[in-house]
Amino acid sequence: MKLTLRITPILLAFGAMALAAGTQAETLKIGIPQPMTGPNTQYGDQIQAGALTAIDAMNEAGGIKGMQIEALLIDDGCEPKQAVPAANRVVNSGAQFAVAHACSGTTVPAVNVYEQEGIVAITPGATSPLVTDTIKPHYFFRTIGRDDQQGPFAGRYIIEQLKPQKVAILHDKQTYGSGVATQVQKTLEQGGINIAMFEGINVGDSDYSAVISKLKALGPDLVYFGGYHPELGLLLRQAREQGLAVQFMGPEGVANKDLAAIAGPAIDRLLTTLPADFTKREGNEAVLEQFKKYNRSPDGAFTMTAYAAMQILADAINAVGTDPAKVADYMHENSFDTVIGKVDYDAKGDLKQFEFAVFQWDADGNMTQIQP
Amino acid sequence: MSDLLPLLTQQLFNGLSLGAIYALIAIGYTMVYGIIGMINFAHGEIYMIGAYVGLVTLSAIGIGSGVPIPLMILAMLVVAVLVTAVYGFAVEKIAYAPLRNSPRLVPLISAIGMSIFLQNWVATGQGARDMAVPSLVTGSLEFTMGASDFTVTAPYSRIMIILVTIVMMIGLSLFIKYSRTGQASRACSQDLRMANLLGIDTSRIISITFVIGAMLAAVGGVLIALAIGKLNPFIGFIAGIKAFTAAVLGGIGSIPGAMLGGVLLGLAETFAAAFISSQYKDIVAFMLLVLILLFRPTGLLGKPEVEKV
Repeated sequence: MKLTLRITPILLAFGAMALAAGTQAETLKIGIPQPMTGPNTQYGDQIQAGALTAIDAMNEAGGIKGMQIEALLIDDGCEPKQAVPAANRVVNSGAQFAVAHACSGTTVPAVNVYEQEGIVAITPGATSPLVTDTIKPHYFFRTIGRDDQQGPFAGRYIIEQLKPQKVAILHDKQTYGSGVATQVQKTLEQGGINIAMFEGINVGDSDYSAVISKLKALGPDLVYFGGYHPELGLLLRQAREQGLAVQFMGPEGVANKDLAAIAGPAIDRLLTTLPADFTKREGNEAVLEQFKKYNRSPDGAFTMTAYAAMQILADAINAVGTDPAKVADYMHENSFDTVIGKVDYDAKGDLKQFEFAVFQWDADGNMTQIQP
Repeated sequence: MSDLLPLLTQQLFNGLSLGAIYALIAIGYTMVYGIIGMINFAHGEIYMIGAYVGLVTLSAIGIGSGVPIPLMILAMLVVAVLVTAVYGFAVEKIAYAPLRNSPRLVPLISAIGMSIFLQNWVATGQGARDMAVPSLVTGSLEFTMGASDFTVTAPYSRIMIILVTIVMMIGLSLFIKYSRTGQASRACSQDLRMANLLGIDTSRIISITFVIGAMLAAVGGVLIALAIGKLNPFIGFIAGIKAFTAAVLGGIGSIPGAMLGGVLLGLAETFAAAFISSQYKDIVAFMLLVLILLFRPTGLLGKPEVEKV
């Protein structure tokens, strides 16, 4: 009796495992760590919109290599300390491919995990050069440009088009914000523009009136802010309250609808650099139809880049199979035709070219492309 | 030098409005500590809940409904105060009252747990993202001064914060000084056990303390929501830490101390941002705290702990 009692659960467990192994359908798991909570959630929403639409469309067409794609949504909160745990969750789920992370501060620590585990990951949103410069990964790629492309692009626009007498640069002291602000600073210094102030503000503060008053006394023609929209929204709103009527400019991390909600009419005349509006690109009409079909919005800085990431993964896996090492090699050696244009990678996973554009916002929260 | 005066005036105003909020929240910390010797780490979350209730009330009334703005603000304040009073009462009964006779550390951990619970409670109910509060009070008082014609701008929403805070401080001081409950509170903060032995219902006084603290924090929450215009479930955390620092600065356990500490911390942060660098403003504010505690360990207005033999 006792022996039976002991053996039975073990036998049952083996039986269950065998059953599970037998009935498990082959799915291709794609890990999608992105912000699902916290102030930067909408970047996660954009990535989900892009990646999941691509996945739904591909699954309907039969999947990749006959396998249905399974998306694993994981929260990284756009926080550096959640980066490695989120990346580990991707690893533990058994996924060997990922569309990973929006925020540079989160991506930089996570890259090590993907590289060590040999997981092919593409970030549609992290723009800091540190993501690929520190360990020069083989398995990590981007479908977005770098801040040392975006910063100088913004800087050149300022020098050539705006020609300000005095510029103030603020940043949020984080990887992304201070990175892009420093790039702009370097470009402006080379162009001989007078930078009267370069200062950091705290993320998460509600009251920036001290630094706004300081700006008021300084009287700049342009304020460039490197960081995300929660802080810029408050800066814009409080600048207007205090009667500081200067034009602001920011990188793609600020450019989204929530900024309009926080800043209200103070968003008028804001300039932002963003990936070019790929929804207007010729040849993407069928993709836009897909977004409509699955009820998701194609707008947003990272939506099309996330869709492109899935396209690249699908192309590569269809070509060489599901071995991440072969996929990584294939990605380095080939060009891809995607919704963001032709994609070519250099040895460390950065795009060889990427289109940024300058957009201007009006008081109702609509933006129009003004350059190129 | 006359160029400096307008900037100083502007930053003074900024500092006072920031300090007013810290003071409102700091009072809650200091009152609870004064009576039961415990730091209520969930207090910052009560402030955040007050702000959210204000926003919900505003949405319920509807911006375009034609209700005059002062009435809308009054409604937001009243509803927020009532709802957070219930929260303050409930938090005390759930997280602290059962642990009243435990070692000091236990209610502290319970408080931290309550703080995390409330943050996620609101995040689950309202979403973890930033929510925008429409500007109800727009416009500002402006005057130019100084040789360079610098315009000192005092937004009405910030003036409102300062005025309401002053009114609430006066109200609270009068209440503590002259009302029976106020006198009972003072008795409890001097010696809880003795007050109990003398027939004061200490449980009731403790509950009232939590409720008053919550109500003040709620007022702060609604005012800040209107002035800043952005809310998320985690604003209570940062504000709570700053307000706690302010309470310690002014002398934890002393209500005038909390008011003074709040204003001082607000001014220190603002002047540090203005004249040193925005990057280091928190460092300066906390260095100030360390320095003051080095020379006056119980804070500026704090009473030295008397060892009762």
